[in-house]
Amino acid sequence: MSIRLLALIPVAAAISLALSAAVDAVALPLFLDTTGTILATALAGPGVGIATGVVTSAVNTLRNPTFWPFVVVQIIVALYAWVAARAGLFRSFRTAVPAGLGLGVIASLTSTPISYLVFGCTTTGGIALTTALGKALGLPPLGACFFGSFVSDFGDKAVTFALVTSVLHALPRRTAARFPWALRAIGAA
Amino acid sequence: MTGGGRLHPFTLLAIAAALPALAWILPAPSGGLAMATIALGLAASRGLRPGLRPAVLTAAPFWLFLLLLHDVPTTIAIGLRITTMVASFVWLVATLEPARLVEAMIAAGWSASIAYLLAATLSAVPVLKARARRIVEAQRCRGLSPRGGIAARLRALRALALPLVLSALHEVDERALALETRGLVPGIRRTPLAPPPDPAVEQAARWALLLACLAALARRFIVPRFI
Repeated sequence: MSIRLLALIPVAAAISLALSAAVDAVALPLFLDTTGTILATALAGPGVGIATGVVTSAVNTLRNPTFWPFVVVQIIVALYAWVAARAGLFRSFRTAVPAGLGLGVIASLTSTPISYLVFGCTTTGGIALTTALGKALGLPPLGACFFGSFVSDFGDKAVTFALVTSVLHALPRRTAARFPWALRAIGAA
Repeated sequence: MTGGGRLHPFTLLAIAAALPALAWILPAPSGGLAMATIALGLAASRGLRPGLRPAVLTAAPFWLFLLLLHDVPTTIAIGLRITTMVASFVWLVATLEPARLVEAMIAAGWSASIAYLLAATLSAVPVLKARARRIVEAQRCRGLSPRGGIAARLRALRALALPLVLSALHEVDERALALETRGLVPGIRRTPLAPPPDPAVEQAARWALLLACLAALARRFIVPRFI
């Protein structure tokens, strides 16, 4: 791994953790906690993306230990983002947003068993409340848990993909060309 | 120093990992209760403010949400496991000095790059958060309104997030240059300046914790009435 890619990992992980300040300002029910993972993957490939996801989870765990079991989700997100980058799905919002919605489904499918088995579907207040809503609608326990995860992940991942697409297109070509996957991800190479 | 501060960093990590693992593996609620008691005891040994209070405050909402979603026996079983996990990590964070961990990792032959990743991320997060707050204030001064419908809020989010992410990415080259001048080439081995002592008894204790987890796991698969 080159020094530039090594330097990218902590920056991308810190982006994931610092974006909460922007989310708080607009009061939207979003996490954007996989932004750095997706961005690092789109810029530098799956190895850097996975490392970013693991570092993000590790540092998040120091603030709240309940984040660590979800490191698997970060790895799945990095692999999915790599497939999306290879296919050039970051070339426009028209391709990125559906890809993000697809990731929302996969992320909630991945996080549901962890949330159900480890935390009894109580990972955050919002997920607990939507899970309770799912139970009130007559869904079985695992189905209600998936409903809770799905509601929180579906829109979040679409917005994250759209944001990463904006960043990739806003990067000067000279800067983008320094990262091995950036131009291919936006369909320019 | 109280609460395990003199222990080798790997021993601290082993204890913090073994307690939640055993809380999940051992039969509920007695196994979870025993592990939660030990973990809360360790957290309390660091004092009320840095240890016990954050552990209790972090675990409390989970009990509330569990009661909302489950019956009382399930709430107690899962709640004790989550409490063990939270309390043992709070104890770990209050006890483990990052510099000692880095020295221990380097002494054990780990790449200096891994130690850099954790340390650099921890130092970059507060810097980027402060920058995000400045960008929010600057954009508000320019008339950006973070209120209104979802579309307006998403546009506002883009105006806030884009400068933050782009400015962070522009720093990557500076950081790479700084690393290169300090000789942090990936894969290079460093000599630790003051490696923490790792007595044989602590090494044996770490193996014992691993074996205890494996034995509890094996017993759980053999005895079907385990939860």
